[in-house]
Amino acid sequence: MEAALLIGLNAAWQIAALALLALGLAIVFGLLRILNMAHGEFVMLGAYAHVLTAQAGLPPWMALPVCIGFVGLAALAVERLVVRHLYDRMFDSLLATWALSILMREAVELVWGRAYRNVPLPVEGVTQLGPVGYPSYRLMVIALIVIVFFALWRWYRRSLTGVRLRAMVSNPALARASGINTARLSAMAFVTGCVSAGLAGLILAPVLAVEPNMGLDALIRSFFALVVGGLGTLEGLGIGVAVVGGLQAGLSAAFSQTAGYLGVLILAILFLWRRPDGLYRRR
Amino acid sequence: MGSIVAVNAALALALLAVPALWGDFMAWQIGLYLLYGVAAQGVGLAWGRGGFLPLGNAVFFGVAAYAAAMVLNATGGALLPNLLAMLAIAGVLAALAWGLAALVFHGRSDSGPFFSLITLALVLIVAQLAETNPSITGGFNGYAGFAPLAGLDPYGNLYYAIVALVVAVSLSLMALDRLPAGLVLRALVAQEGRLQLLGFATNRVKAWAFAGAAFITALAGTLYASHQGIVTPQATGFVLSAELVIWAAVGGRLHPLGALFGAVAIGLLSAELRDILPWWEVVVAMIFLLVVLLAPGGAAELVARGARALGWQRRIPQPAPCPAPSSRAAGATGALRLEDVQLHAGAVHILRGLDVSCPESGILCVIGPNGAGKTTMLKAITGAMRLQSGRILLGERDITNAPIHAALDAGIGRKMQIPTVFGGLSLTENLQLASLAGRARAGDFLHPATLGWQSPALARLMAHPAVPLAGLSARDAGSLPQGHRQLLELGLTIAAEPQILLLDEPTAGMSPEETALMVELIRDYQAQTGAFVLVIEHDMALVAALDARVLVLHQGRNLAVGRLDEVRANPAVAAVYAGGEK
Repeated sequence: MEAALLIGLNAAWQIAALALLALGLAIVFGLLRILNMAHGEFVMLGAYAHVLTAQAGLPPWMALPVCIGFVGLAALAVERLVVRHLYDRMFDSLLATWALSILMREAVELVWGRAYRNVPLPVEGVTQLGPVGYPSYRLMVIALIVIVFFALWRWYRRSLTGVRLRAMVSNPALARASGINTARLSAMAFVTGCVSAGLAGLILAPVLAVEPNMGLDALIRSFFALVVGGLGTLEGLGIGVAVVGGLQAGLSAAFSQTAGYLGVLILAILFLWRRPDGLYRRR
Repeated sequence: MGSIVAVNAALALALLAVPALWGDFMAWQIGLYLLYGVAAQGVGLAWGRGGFLPLGNAVFFGVAAYAAAMVLNATGGALLPNLLAMLAIAGVLAALAWGLAALVFHGRSDSGPFFSLITLALVLIVAQLAETNPSITGGFNGYAGFAPLAGLDPYGNLYYAIVALVVAVSLSLMALDRLPAGLVLRALVAQEGRLQLLGFATNRVKAWAFAGAAFITALAGTLYASHQGIVTPQATGFVLSAELVIWAAVGGRLHPLGALFGAVAIGLLSAELRDILPWWEVVVAMIFLLVVLLAPGGAAELVARGARALGWQRRIPQPAPCPAPSSRAAGATGALRLEDVQLHAGAVHILRGLDVSCPESGILCVIGPNGAGKTTMLKAITGAMRLQSGRILLGERDITNAPIHAALDAGIGRKMQIPTVFGGLSLTENLQLASLAGRARAGDFLHPATLGWQSPALARLMAHPAVPLAGLSARDAGSLPQGHRQLLELGLTIAAEPQILLLDEPTAGMSPEETALMVELIRDYQAQTGAFVLVIEHDMALVAALDARVLVLHQGRNLAVGRLDEVRANPAVAAVYAGGEK
């Protein structure tokens, strides 16, 4: 009973963390059809917001506004200088964001060095759930993600901006003709996706190894979740992170980290081969 | 072939002079960048000729290096067994690469970005495996203590083995560009959809490009083991993978030697500057980004542009014309029949129980208002869109939902509504591709004489005095005006002499004279081959000129069939076109 509860909590944690990581990639791909290869580097920048805050002598809670400002400005610059010219050119945007990711890694390495950084947990302690004690911070993150996803889903379906976004996704030319400023909307979507990646880095930094190359792992795992769930919808993202996060947690617990990774890779290849649209397909 | 041999002889001489001019240590250093350069040439092959970008190609380099090191250890470096082992290692990795690419590109042509990420994941996983299994790979410390290939001194004679590999790979890649196989690869990057309609399973074409990339990269990896005397997880790492891409991009992915020069130039510069300038790696990344955004062809393209500006023209020798073997598409028989075809695209119900029976020979015009499902019907026949239910038959053969590339061998040729030709390839190259479609077998792609094949149907069209394509043989097909392109695409489609020819608005954008020519060419093709020709058309004058039976489609159903005057008199047809009671 205790063991089952612990396994369940660990799986929930893995899935929640993956959902947080993948959200930004899903936003940018779903709304702009750009596979943002620098997604992981925005996660990395978000995590380094802790380092930046500490260096500036600010209190730890200031990391949140610092992260939003820092990552947001970086994303805005990237959108203006690079991504804006590559909408509707999926392959070119992949290559350009890949080049950008290398640049961001090298720049961060130049500024902060290659060393691993430790970020302390903002909330220490363990919460008793019946017989099992579980880190309070993880429980808070799980709860936060459930709320954020539900709110986001409601907002996308019900709000005016949500309608505009859906119009842009389904037919950009018609959306422009209907008076929707798709250039501004696209820029907004890109920055939102990147800031969401940065916040994921900020929130998960205490449990990840913070170093310049940490983004690759975030990118790969987010991407697999999207392939399995179906690229481009919030529902697909939810299903994908559940399957991929669950599988990886299970295989890692039963065998090893590498087995978890390998299992997810094989699953993703099978999906691309047999079900390229993923599990969730909108009728 | 002369210029290829000359270029490679010059390359060999220049490389052989390195030890004498700059000493053994410099040769050792350049040897390393040459090996990286060969690996980058592999990336260049997949990217420039396959059209997809492997972000984890170091996986082949590193795994081959580990495998070669283990064989060297077991055999004490003996020459012959190790040479055979190197080929076997590269062969096995190439076969794995073939399978992976064929799977991921199966059934969809837009999975390039996904493929890139999968190769990236592979390299991360393999590096992790290498780090976490020290009993096999030596872990972080690396695998060492083996004898080099044939006892060659890494700081001495091994360099000449590396030069031999470099020249062999460069020669092969440059020769490939002159072969039909190379032409097919360039066509794949230029216009994948048309290549499928010419009967090529493009996922397999990509698989061959990736297998070639893996083979070359792995060969470089096997020599790397002897050169370094140690193999560490970095040899299969994502950092090296990224560098391979940077070298290929900056050097130029479209030229066989671009990646090689990119690797040697950036490698040597980095060796000099890395320790002096702490921000050197940032500069390299910046250069890569600028190349991607501003000069996608890299340095090789800039050099080629400069050479053209100075008036240097590359002359490619043309093989002697010879008659092409018979086409598989011409031998197909049987009438085309659609039975109760239902097809949805998302929420839109396009074909709603379409029944069409075509004759085995003759011309049928298909008319109908916009949205009637005319183009969708052609897509269903060629397998470009899947039916939800119903059947499509060719004689007794069921071809429902067959893949697009199978259509030509079944005898079906399709001309698109917006003409698709191989832009970036010359007119001659377009015609060469068309002449081998449906005729070439595996071995023919490696035989230069195949490029001289003449399709009778295509030759007839080109010889027509009114067809304005003669004399444009060196022109980029993508720069031709619309009317020329329509005629060229007709040529590409009829070259294999398909027994069922599907033409989607063949005269769109044409002048009255060109339209009359098109009608003449269609009727001529039909009379010569006895084929069945289906023409989608809006222009009633043209329908009358073709003097054929007419099929009226409306809302995904067959509304009326008959001669033009019969159809005109049909009240249901009049209601659709002019409005009125239904």
